[in-house]
Amino acid sequence: MVETGHFALVLAFALSLVQTIVPLFGARLNNQRLMAVGGPVTITGFALTALSFVALASAYANSDFSVASVWENSHSLQPMIYKITGTWGNHEGSMLLWVLILTFFGALVAAFGSNLPATLRANVLAVQGAIGAAFFLFILATSNPFIRLNPAPIEGRDLNPVLQDLGLAIHPPLLYLGYVGFSICFSFSVAALIEGRIDASWARWVRPWTLVAWMFLTGGIAMGSYWAYYELGWGGFWFWDPVENASFMPWLAGTALLHSAIVMEKRSALKIWTLLLAILTFSLSLLGTFLVRSGVLTSVHAFATDPTRGVFILCILTLFIGGSLALFAMRASRLTAGGLFHPISREGALVLNNLFLTTATATVLVGTLYPLALEALTGDKISVGAPFFDLTFGPLMLPLLALVPFGPLLAWKRGDVFAASQRLMAAFAVALAAMLVTGLFIDGASVFAALGIGLAVWLVVGALTDLAVKSGVGSVAPAVMFRRFAGLPRSVFGTALAHLGLGLTLLGIVATLSFGTEKILSMRAGETVELSGHTLRFVGLYPAQGPNYSEDRGRFELIGVSGSPVGEISSAKRFYPVRQTTTTESGIKTLGLSQLYISLGDEAKDGSVVVRLWWKPLVTLIWGGGLVMMAGAAMSLMDRRLRVGAPSRRRKQASAAAPAVLP
Amino acid sequence: MLFWVIAAILTLGASLAVLLPLAGGAKGASSSGEHDLEVYRDQLSELDRDAARGLIQPAEAAEARAEIARRILRLDNADTAGKASARPASVTARLVATVAVLAVPLVSWGVYSRIGSPDLPAQPLSERLAKNPADSSVDELVARAEAHLAANPSDGRGWDVLAPVYLRMQRFSDAVTAYRNAIRLDGDSAVRQAGLGEAIAGAAGGIVSADAQDAFEAALKLDPANAKASFYLAMALAQEGRNKDAVTAWQAMLGTLPPDSPWRGAVEQALAKSGEVASGAPAKGPDAADVDAASSLSPQDREAMINTMVAGLDEKLRQNPRDPEGWMRLVRSYVVLGKADQAREALGRAIAVFGAGSDEAKKFTAFAASLGLTATE
Repeated sequence: MVETGHFALVLAFALSLVQTIVPLFGARLNNQRLMAVGGPVTITGFALTALSFVALASAYANSDFSVASVWENSHSLQPMIYKITGTWGNHEGSMLLWVLILTFFGALVAAFGSNLPATLRANVLAVQGAIGAAFFLFILATSNPFIRLNPAPIEGRDLNPVLQDLGLAIHPPLLYLGYVGFSICFSFSVAALIEGRIDASWARWVRPWTLVAWMFLTGGIAMGSYWAYYELGWGGFWFWDPVENASFMPWLAGTALLHSAIVMEKRSALKIWTLLLAILTFSLSLLGTFLVRSGVLTSVHAFATDPTRGVFILCILTLFIGGSLALFAMRASRLTAGGLFHPISREGALVLNNLFLTTATATVLVGTLYPLALEALTGDKISVGAPFFDLTFGPLMLPLLALVPFGPLLAWKRGDVFAASQRLMAAFAVALAAMLVTGLFIDGASVFAALGIGLAVWLVVGALTDLAVKSGVGSVAPAVMFRRFAGLPRSVFGTALAHLGLGLTLLGIVATLSFGTEKILSMRAGETVELSGHTLRFVGLYPAQGPNYSEDRGRFELIGVSGSPVGEISSAKRFYPVRQTTTTESGIKTLGLSQLYISLGDEAKDGSVVVRLWWKPLVTLIWGGGLVMMAGAAMSLMDRRLRVGAPSRRRKQASAAAPAVLP
Repeated sequence: MLFWVIAAILTLGASLAVLLPLAGGAKGASSSGEHDLEVYRDQLSELDRDAARGLIQPAEAAEARAEIARRILRLDNADTAGKASARPASVTARLVATVAVLAVPLVSWGVYSRIGSPDLPAQPLSERLAKNPADSSVDELVARAEAHLAANPSDGRGWDVLAPVYLRMQRFSDAVTAYRNAIRLDGDSAVRQAGLGEAIAGAAGGIVSADAQDAFEAALKLDPANAKASFYLAMALAQEGRNKDAVTAWQAMLGTLPPDSPWRGAVEQALAKSGEVASGAPAKGPDAADVDAASSLSPQDREAMINTMVAGLDEKLRQNPRDPEGWMRLVRSYVVLGKADQAREALGRAIAVFGAGSDEAKKFTAFAASLGLTATE
């Protein structure tokens, strides 16, 4: 089984070479047969990669220590779920997951791309194949997960205890779906550049892919943030860590791409810019992969450091980013620009959004790469952290967030700011009220809190206003209103949900940062402590034994108003003997949207324990907002508009859908 | 064999994915112009819907409609240029097709034959543990016993059997656990207590600590003739610097041991060594490995064997320095051999590998201190 997986991987590499070369020649020579090879080869390549991945996963599940990667990252006593997630909890396996997703997306294009113009489809598959070939080669040459050990050791070295968590099952696959999803946008862009023309259906294909990738990337980042929050035991949700930035940059650029693709799709404007943005977004995804995988950055993500891998990924990076940008420089002038619009219009608002987002991306890029460059040139080690980003990224985001509710209310081609403002008066009033309440009653000293809460409420109510205005609240009878509301295109709901989610995340961040409280103290069993109106009693430390660890579990009781316990929280210090590592399992109690967070410190000789407590008001909204954003993207994906563009299938759908949207 | 069949089938499947489309007839494909036209039509109808909902002003809608109409017109002009067709394949196309079909088997089998291990079967742990014990390696047998004990932790006999095996494999901390469990479940015995003491001493790098002494004394209480316990207690004396007492104890042992006892040789070696020690060199007793070797080899051979082993370890660590356990073994070996300078040098190197501030470095320093050694830096 193991060697079958290994052979399938090699075969998939061979097919990716065919997938790169044959359709490319086919499109060039305008040869139907050569172009037709792209589809079946892509799908077979995906099937082989999947076989290979299943073979590796089953080696992990069966603790087959004759596979070096299993021996290094697994242990027979681990619970089954961590044996399986351990498949991608290491460098080799995670790269295999990367190409699995890459070939999966390629196969989707091949399977459902029959309504694409033949040459565009062939070129897209060829570019996708080239990315695949580069990464297959990378895996086979420097990070082969199927290297065998003979004789096989009898026991493995265990998975990094920090990764023995459900988060590993969700965070990397989501993040990779996001990263790699942008590869399709990239392939479409490069294909358009190779052809020297942008088909009208181009944007209709790129936008759903952007949506899919953006949706998963949003989920991946939110999940990663929550994982760091509860697993690392520091109670923080975002650290401006270079690895986090590496995933945040493609998200920012992807958000810009999402918006510019709307303009392109609806108005055929901003074509060249959208194309460039698609290239940049995937380039940032590759850069993220490079930063994390090369060992340039050391963190929990850098499973192993090996200079040859870094050099190899750098070559891939140079080839794809340099190559695509050179192609862009050569061909961009041949592409025709699209429709015209007035500066104050929906298009104009989206361009403004793009300006802010790309500048913000550049800021994060500088903040992430500057320390690396400085260290390489002068040897000085500096760290660029929260203060830098607060001063640069923050001020860039504030005006953008303040402008968000205007966008969806502006008309295409020529908008009326005054009319939009009038419609937003209610939202503005609510936001102002929230600001005053915050300033006067909750925390008068912090301008940041009042402004932040006001801005968040402005976003939330603004998003709802958009829906209300479009369904005609206040101007038509309730029955008509409901019919209109139900008949709104899904993409309108998508926009509103995404903007709403943004507001919720902002609300969570501001509330946690401004009103959160923290205590560090030394407690003995039986003592109580009060934090922001919640009383906790430390019951005691109890030793316990897990499948592959031992732990000291500190139990706390939450005391209600009546004096009797209403809930229990426990936090633990775990010791994993195989890796001789200690981890902290934080104790979290969710009360409404807020959380009590307990992290256990070291035990002193006299039996007292250092305990860190946090009260985090509305903290769950940070990730809840992310989920709402994902829901918005999913809603937008269901929009019928994204399914048209095929010569034969189109008319029937359009006629079926049209009556539903007429008022 | 089965693997080669599967590999051949996979290769065949992959080749067919390339071959079939090349051999198949060309379908009539629509030109990109037709696709574009559909999109423009859809944009027109969407424009109407937006206008109906008031998302675009009537004047702008008319302007946008004109824009789209112009694009359609441009399209009609361009579309006469020609459709993609299944023209007879050119020489280049045939060449590309041939290369592609050949590339799949050649690349895959070529690359796999370089990097694969086709003869190595998969070895799931459960299967390895289920096969005939006669075919299993010691490691596998131990793992099987461990699995059994994990399921039945109250099987005292199992622990009792496993404990000396651990000791022989130098897995001292596991041996300590196993002996403790055996004593807890199956009761005290001199053999178990002496084994526990030996395991504790082994875990501490051959130093007979207070815990180990307790265990040996318990063994002697149960069986005053237990040679292992007497031997190690004497070694504890030697390690404390009480050489004379140790020599006395060992000589007393020689008097009482039966002539065929395997411990006789060990005691003689220890006496010989303590003689050397008494004549000046810094004092450290032999460790468990010495004892094993001593019971079967002549003094010169033993000395040579240990030196070779230590030199081998040293060499291995030069090539593969990130091995904290290995470094501690090396430092301990030098200390046991009385080569304090080399021990110190090895300690310095070990700390340099992991960085002076690292956890490992702290562990090394603490470990060295427990052996009575301090780092020079």
